[in-house]
Amino acid sequence: MAWQDFKKKFKRQMSDMLEIPSEIIMDLPKVVLVGDLQVFIENHRGIVEYSAESVRVNVGDYEVAVYGEDLLLRNILPDEICLEGRIKSIQFVR
Amino acid sequence: MFLFRLLSFIFGYVNILIRGESLEKFLNMAASRGIFLWDIKRIGQNEILVKTRLSAVKPLRHIGRNSKTRFNFKGREGLPFMIHRIRKRKSVIFGAMFFLFGLYVLSSFIWFIDIKGNHDLSREDILRITGEAGLKVGSVKFRVDQDRVEKLIRERMPEVSYVGVDINGTRATIEIAEKIIIKKKESQPSNVVARKAGLIKEVLVLVGDPAVKEGDTVVPGQLLISGVIPPPETLNQDPPGISGGETARRAPAYPPTCVRARGVVRARVWYEGYGEVPLQEEGSRETGSLFSRVRIKIGDKEIILSGAQNIPFNNYRIESSIKRPPVWRNLSIPVEFISEEYHEVEKYRIQRSRSEALELARKKSLELARSNTKNIEGEYHVLDEKTTEVSPKNPENIVRVRAYIETLEDIGLEKPLK
Repeated sequence: MAWQDFKKKFKRQMSDMLEIPSEIIMDLPKVVLVGDLQVFIENHRGIVEYSAESVRVNVGDYEVAVYGEDLLLRNILPDEICLEGRIKSIQFVR
Repeated sequence: MFLFRLLSFIFGYVNILIRGESLEKFLNMAASRGIFLWDIKRIGQNEILVKTRLSAVKPLRHIGRNSKTRFNFKGREGLPFMIHRIRKRKSVIFGAMFFLFGLYVLSSFIWFIDIKGNHDLSREDILRITGEAGLKVGSVKFRVDQDRVEKLIRERMPEVSYVGVDINGTRATIEIAEKIIIKKKESQPSNVVARKAGLIKEVLVLVGDPAVKEGDTVVPGQLLISGVIPPPETLNQDPPGISGGETARRAPAYPPTCVRARGVVRARVWYEGYGEVPLQEEGSRETGSLFSRVRIKIGDKEIILSGAQNIPFNNYRIESSIKRPPVWRNLSIPVEFISEEYHEVEKYRIQRSRSEALELARKKSLELARSNTKNIEGEYHVLDEKTTEVSPKNPENIVRVRAYIETLEDIGLEKPLK
């Protein structure tokens, strides 16, 4: 595990130094919120749970959970998910 | 987003209700295989509604089988389905084709002919010539030879210096430029006669022999300056002392010379106007309020299309226009389209005092007199404006006023000698 942590640390330092967006180097999700209307989740690994009140999306190391009302999957692409509805909260679930 | 909508409309898309246990798995599988799903909506515990392209349906079935879900097609939208639906209605297609065909056929005729730039030439004459050349209302557009029409107009009408025929849609525009024919300066001998009656104020003769002098009263047509100059008699009188026999021999050698008489003859001219105003006036006039109604008459029945049943005025004047479909042979359609306008009319009664009536009558008469001075040619100036009340012996309920306007103007009019 120590090796893994070291690798992560190194990558972060690299991205800071070279000013490369960290979501590319470190394979992190990019979550974009548009008010409480839309959420874009880039770099996802698939949907774990989907209902009108909550959506959980696998993003690698953890899950992004979106809670709200009348949630609708606007579209699903291999690397991007667009959610619409009245969003109440977003949580990172480990 | 709009482009995406448009594309999905063109290629067609379907609404699918998907039932199953592991719907998330189904969505992930679809996404990872590059099948595009949108507007995914959770409906029930194990049900979602998705939209997808028509081309993605087959691979989706595959995924569905793997993830143990069931499909239910809810709606088909887009162009491919529309075409399919329309194909079933043959008459609609036929009607559309017929419409387009009719539009095309009707647009290949010339329905309007505009003529621009003609001042002296009449429209009818031009149209007659274009008709001979094959351009008239109702002729086929493609058969009209513009060059021929232009050429024929130029040939037949020498007054035309330029003609351009332009066909735009169903409208043919004929542009014409007329030659400006400069009138030859008249050099033929002429007299100056009076244009109207008046009192001569001044006579200025440039060429000719004056026939009137200041203070003369002239009537219309009276000779003012003569173009006939009598032979100089001075020769006869100048040498008084020499022999009379010589002059008597010379005199008939000079015939009267004829010139184009020119000069300014200013005269005082009077214009009259008359106005009368009753002291007590009764009549009816429009109040300005308007009520309009449109009716359609089919046979004996009448249907009011717009406007109320009852006319909201007591007294009114009706202006109606009736439109009927054109009668062909002796077949007529018993339908009439009647549009009526009701103008409210009210009775009025005005009581005027004598001075008020006089003032009004004065105004009226002066206006009338002024309107007579309006068609004076050339310069003029008003010398005097007078109004006099015409008072009859017996007192009347009416005030009559006569107005006179006195002007000073040139009354000379050139009239060729015969």
